[in-house]
Amino acid sequence: MKVSLAGVQAVRGDWSLSAQGTFGEGIHLVSGDVGSGKSTLALLLSGLFPPASGTVEREGIISAMISFQFPEFHVTGPDLERECKAWGVDPGSVLAAAGLAGRETADPLDLSRGELKRLVLACVLARDHDLLILDEPFSSLDCTEKERLCAVLSGRMRGITVILTHEQAHFPRVDRIWEIQDGTLRDRGRLPSALGHWDHAPALVKDLIARGKVPANIAQADLLEAACRI
Amino acid sequence: MITAENLWYRTLSIEELRIAPGITSVIGPNGCGKTTLLKLLAGIAVPESGTILVDGIPPRDAEIGWVNEFPDRNILFGSTFEEIASPLRFRHLPCTEIDDRVVRCMKAVGITHLGTRPMQELSGGEKVLVALAAALVFRPQVLVLDEYDSHLDARRAGEISRIIKRSGTPYVIHCTQDTETAACGDSVIFLEQGKAGCSGTPEDVFASLSRTAFYPLSWRCRA
Repeated sequence: MKVSLAGVQAVRGDWSLSAQGTFGEGIHLVSGDVGSGKSTLALLLSGLFPPASGTVEREGIISAMISFQFPEFHVTGPDLERECKAWGVDPGSVLAAAGLAGRETADPLDLSRGELKRLVLACVLARDHDLLILDEPFSSLDCTEKERLCAVLSGRMRGITVILTHEQAHFPRVDRIWEIQDGTLRDRGRLPSALGHWDHAPALVKDLIARGKVPANIAQADLLEAACRI
Repeated sequence: MITAENLWYRTLSIEELRIAPGITSVIGPNGCGKTTLLKLLAGIAVPESGTILVDGIPPRDAEIGWVNEFPDRNILFGSTFEEIASPLRFRHLPCTEIDDRVVRCMKAVGITHLGTRPMQELSGGEKVLVALAAALVFRPQVLVLDEYDSHLDARRAGEISRIIKRSGTPYVIHCTQDTETAACGDSVIFLEQGKAGCSGTPEDVFASLSRTAFYPLSWRCRA
């Protein structure tokens, strides 16, 4: 299964994004500055934004899901129970997974932003999608929840997961790193060799590499292992 | 000094809190009351009981700049320029002064290139930058930012941090999920279940959180 972008140009007014490459099975991390086009790429990959030129082709993908940066954009239900049902997922198990058990009658928009993000992510992750696109999934989550999400994503054994984020501290183990720079999607390759070419690498990763302690991956356990290496 | 005594509002209950001038980071688990505390500090909400004072006066009588974490909820006007100008227009300043201050503020925040672009065309991060400019343009006494860094890349967040420091705003209070950022401030307040679990210097507060995910990873790696 894969998503292939060939000669893709996305245009919004006088701004454009060029993208070329193949997203195969595994976890892909896409980083880039604010406004670089991460959300546009997420929409292109999900088929919600048509390219001005070029093609986005999916092979072997039956189910796809996207999680937007702002969780309120997903809300359609007047309470948490009906919000879960609108996603087609079981309210009991999903609300428990989101730490919101017992709040079935609460208005989703009355939740704190972190709680709403937890709810949306729990709904998104309740099913095993072939293509999972997560636009800034860590924003608004507290540190404990970020690590929990990383563990869940690291445990995805199949399918394509694309994480588009400027997060700097919490990551799952990823297979491939991409960056968007100067209006172009750039493939930095597989880990750990990609780390040396990763311009948006967190300061801690750059520091470890400068000290000759290249981490095997970018999960916190990998960074700690590298830091403690003699 | 910002002081809160016997503060009670919804699920937030704080017996005593003192915030000195400088940059204060509010951290804690989702739903612990960070945004509620910031709304009380900004005068957006009023305590059900107790007091909160900014240098002896209620927040609603002080000049407070507010940056919402959800940028779309900040937007009042269609264009970038008009959005930033709006606090000054509401204060009935002369048009020439408004234009001058907006241009200088946009330059200071690094968004001159946005010009008069429609707000709805901006990315989430760009909307935060416009909200920050709108909050700084009237030179507030207190700048309150509700997780502004959630939507900024590290480079831009660092730039904004420097802009905020350069602005000379006496009190900057922000909540963040980035403990590395919180570790760089002057003081930290850790909220837990609606209460101020601990507050003080980053060293003191994080020392009490060393066994949690809130402890900065860079501090762990330097150990």
